Amino acid sequence: MANQAKTHKIKMMEEQLAKKLNRQVVGSLVGCVHCGMCDESCHYVLAFPDDHKMTPSYKADQVRKLFKANHDWTGSVFPWWVGADKVPLCDDDLETLKDIAFGTCTNCRRCTLSCPMGVDTATLNRIMRGLLSHVGVMPEGVRVVSKDQWEIGNQMGVLKEDYIDTIEWMSEELEEDLGHAEATIPMEKQGAKIMYCINPREVKYDPRTIKEAALIFWAAGEDWTMPTEGWDNTNFGLFSGDDGLGGACAKREYEKARELGVDKIVISECGHGFRSTRFEGVNWAGESEPVPMESSVMTMLNYVKEGKIKVDPTKNPEKMTFHDSCNNARSGGFFEEPRELLRLVSMDFQEMYPNRAEGYCCTGGGGAMSMSEYTPRRLESAKIKADQIRATGAKVVVTSCHNCVDGLNDLIKHYELDCEVKQLVNLVANALVLDEAERPVEEVSVPEEISVKPAAEAEPLAGRKILVVDDEEDVRTFLITVFEDAGAEVISASDGNEAIAMARQHQPDLISLDLSMPGKDGVETFVELRSTAETQEIPVCVVTGHPEFRQVIYDRPVPPPEGYLGKPVDEDKLVAYASHILDHRNDKAN
Amino acid sequence: MHEISPALHTAEVVHWIALVVMAIVYTLRIRWLLSFKLAKDKSAPGNPAQSDKQRGARYSLFNVTMPWSMESTRKPKGFVFYLSFVLFHLGVVAGITLAFVSTIAPDFLRVPAVGWTVMFFIVAAFLVSLYRIARRILRPLMRLISTPDDYFSLIMLTVWFAIGAATQAYLMGIWGVTSDIFQIAYLYLTSFFLLYVPFSKISHYLYYPFTRTYIGRALGQRGSYPVVRARS
Repeated sequence: MANQAKTHKIKMMEEQLAKKLNRQVVGSLVGCVHCGMCDESCHYVLAFPDDHKMTPSYKADQVRKLFKANHDWTGSVFPWWVGADKVPLCDDDLETLKDIAFGTCTNCRRCTLSCPMGVDTATLNRIMRGLLSHVGVMPEGVRVVSKDQWEIGNQMGVLKEDYIDTIEWMSEELEEDLGHAEATIPMEKQGAKIMYCINPREVKYDPRTIKEAALIFWAAGEDWTMPTEGWDNTNFGLFSGDDGLGGACAKREYEKARELGVDKIVISECGHGFRSTRFEGVNWAGESEPVPMESSVMTMLNYVKEGKIKVDPTKNPEKMTFHDSCNNARSGGFFEEPRELLRLVSMDFQEMYPNRAEGYCCTGGGGAMSMSEYTPRRLESAKIKADQIRATGAKVVVTSCHNCVDGLNDLIKHYELDCEVKQLVNLVANALVLDEAERPVEEVSVPEEISVKPAAEAEPLAGRKILVVDDEEDVRTFLITVFEDAGAEVISASDGNEAIAMARQHQPDLISLDLSMPGKDGVETFVELRSTAETQEIPVCVVTGHPEFRQVIYDRPVPPPEGYLGKPVDEDKLVAYASHILDHRNDKAN
Repeated sequence: MHEISPALHTAEVVHWIALVVMAIVYTLRIRWLLSFKLAKDKSAPGNPAQSDKQRGARYSLFNVTMPWSMESTRKPKGFVFYLSFVLFHLGVVAGITLAFVSTIAPDFLRVPAVGWTVMFFIVAAFLVSLYRIARRILRPLMRLISTPDDYFSLIMLTVWFAIGAATQAYLMGIWGVTSDIFQIAYLYLTSFFLLYVPFSKISHYLYYPFTRTYIGRALGQRGSYPVVRARS
C-alpha cells in the first residue's frame, strides 16, 4: 500500500540510501535507544526548549525511519512497531524534511559526543541532506552554491579573471606596503614548497586576509604559490551531503598540487574547508596517497616556533577569547595549536567554556550562512554562543574559520556584544616584527603634517560618481563624507524607490547600498537594479549591519554584488573597496 | 538435586531452547551488520600529537564506565540518569543470572549474600523501570521520539523485574512466596524476552561494541578522542 503511494522522488531517495549504507552508518541507524541524552547537547534545543522536534534523535529518526522501512527486519514486516510507518510518501513531506535537515541542524556533531551509544547523529543528518539533494530538494542558497562549485569551481562563482585580478591587487598592495619588488604573491609557481588554498569569501569580501597571509609567507621566506585553478578549499559537498561534489571539489585541489609539484597544501583558516580538504575529501575522492596538507594555523605556529618569523604580542593587547570551529575541533582534533599560536601573538587570552571538542557551534556551520530562509532561527539559536562570549568579557573573539567569522559577526550584532571577530592570520600579521631587510623601505619617520600624499592616492575616487543609499541619516552623511574626501562626486538616496530612480537618472559609477531600509528594502532594491536594463551594469557595494545580505550572495536571484562591507564601516577599507571595484570595472571595459 | 514440578521442568526446557534460538538470531544479526562495507578513513591522522585510533576506540568503548567523559552524563541531571542507567543494567544482569542459575543451581541463589544482592539489583531495576516508564510517558520529548517498541520493551522488562523479584523471594523462601508459579512465569517470560530481543531495540547492546568502536576509531584518528576537557 505504502509503496504504491510513494512518489518517484521518494523511491529515488530510498535507492540512494542503499548506496550510502556502510557499517558505521548502519551501526548509528540501529544503535539509537531513544534515551534522549543527546537533547541538551544541541544549541537548537537550548534555544527552543519547547520545540521537541529540535532534539537530535528526532532529526536522525527521519533517515532512520527510511532505513527501518526498507532494510531492517522488524521495520520491514511491522513498520508501525518501530516508527517506520511514518516515512515520507509525497513530495510535500520532503519540504518538511528539508526544513529539519537543513534548517534545524548545523551538523556540528556536538550531539555525537553526548550519545552513550556512540551514534553519529550529525552524519545521519548529512545523509538525509544528501538524499534530499539527490532529488533536488534543498535550500536555494545550497543549490546555487553547489551549482557554482560544480560548474565554475568555487562556491561563490568567482570567475578566474576576477580571482587573478584580486590576487594581483593584493600582490601590488603588498609590494607597495613593503617597497620590495620581490614581495609579491607568486602564482602558478612550479615546484614551490607550499600551495596556498583559500576560501572564495576572501577573494570576494575579505581580500586583506590574502595579503596578510602573503606578508607572513614573505616574512618567513617561504617558497610558496597560489594556484589559478583548484584554489577553493571550501566544499559544499560537506553541507549538501553530496559526496560526488565533495570528491570533485577536493580532487581539484589535489590534482593542482600534483601538477605544480608542491610539497604540501596549506589550507587557509576555514573550518569546513580544512575538514573537507584535509580529511573527508580524501575519502570522497578515493585518494590512495593523499597530498600532505595542513592548516595555515599550523604553518604560522611552526614559523613562530622555528624562529622564521618574529612576533610582538604587545601589538595585540586586547582581551581575547577563542572560538573553536566545530569542523576543526570536533572533527579535526585541531584545538591546542590555535590556542598556542594565539598565546604567542596576543597579551590577554581568556578561555571560553565549554571549549575545544565540546564547544558550541557559532551557528553559522553546516552551510547555514547560505540558507537565508533560516536566518531568524539561526540567530535565535545563537544565544548560547552569545552568552558564552559575553561571559568572557573579551573584546576580540578569535576563530580559525570563515563561516564562524560570519556567524559570530551576525550574533555579535544581533545580541549587541561589545566585541569584534578576528582570525589568527589577522593577529599574526599585526604582531609581525620584520627584520631590517624586510621592513618597508619608506619606513622613515616623516612628520604627519609635512607628509603629502600623491594626488592619485589622496583622491583615489576622483572623477567617479557614487550613489549612497541608506535610510539612516548619520550613516549616509558619514559615507558621503568619506567618498567626497576621496574625490568622488556623491549623490544620495534614503530609500529603495528613490535609489532606483536616481540610479536610472544619474547612471552612477558605483552604488553603496544599505539592505535594511523601511519600505522597499535593500534586497528588493538590489534585485530590481540588477533586473533593469538601465541599471544592471552599475556595480553595487552592499554596506550593511544585518545578515540579510547573504540572501543576495548565496541565493543569488540575480548576479551577486561586487562588494560587501559590514557596519561599522572602516573608512580606508570602504575607499579601497570602492576603488578596486571601479578599477576592476574599467579593466574589464578595456 | 532439587525437586521440580513438571510445569517448571517444561518452562526450563523452553527457556533453554529460546536461548539457543536467540544465539542463532544474534549470529545472523551480526552477520547482517558485517555484510555492510566497512568505510575506511584514508586521510592521514589528524593531529600527530593526539591521533590514535586504537586509543580512541578503547576510550569510546569504555566511556560507559566514565560518566565524566560525556557532558550528557557529567551534568547533575545527566549523572542521576547515568546512575539509574547503571542500576537498570545491573538489574538486567541480575535478572539473567537469576533465570539461568535458578534452573541449574538454585541453591546458590539461596546463599543469603548472593540472594540479597540479586534481589537488591532486581528491585532497584524495577523501580528505575517505573521511573523510566513515567519519564517516557510524561515528557513530551520522550513521547515524540518513542515508538511502540520503546514502550513495549520497557514495560516488558518492568514486568520481568517484578516477576523476577517474586521468583527470587520464592527461591529464598521469604515474603511468604511459596508457589513456583512465579518461577515458571519468569522462565516463560524470559523465553519470550530472549526470542523478542533480537528484533527489538533491546538488541542495542549487541551493537554497542560496534558503534562505540567505530566512532572511537574515527574520532581517535582525527585526534578529538579522548575528549580533552575544558581547562581553567
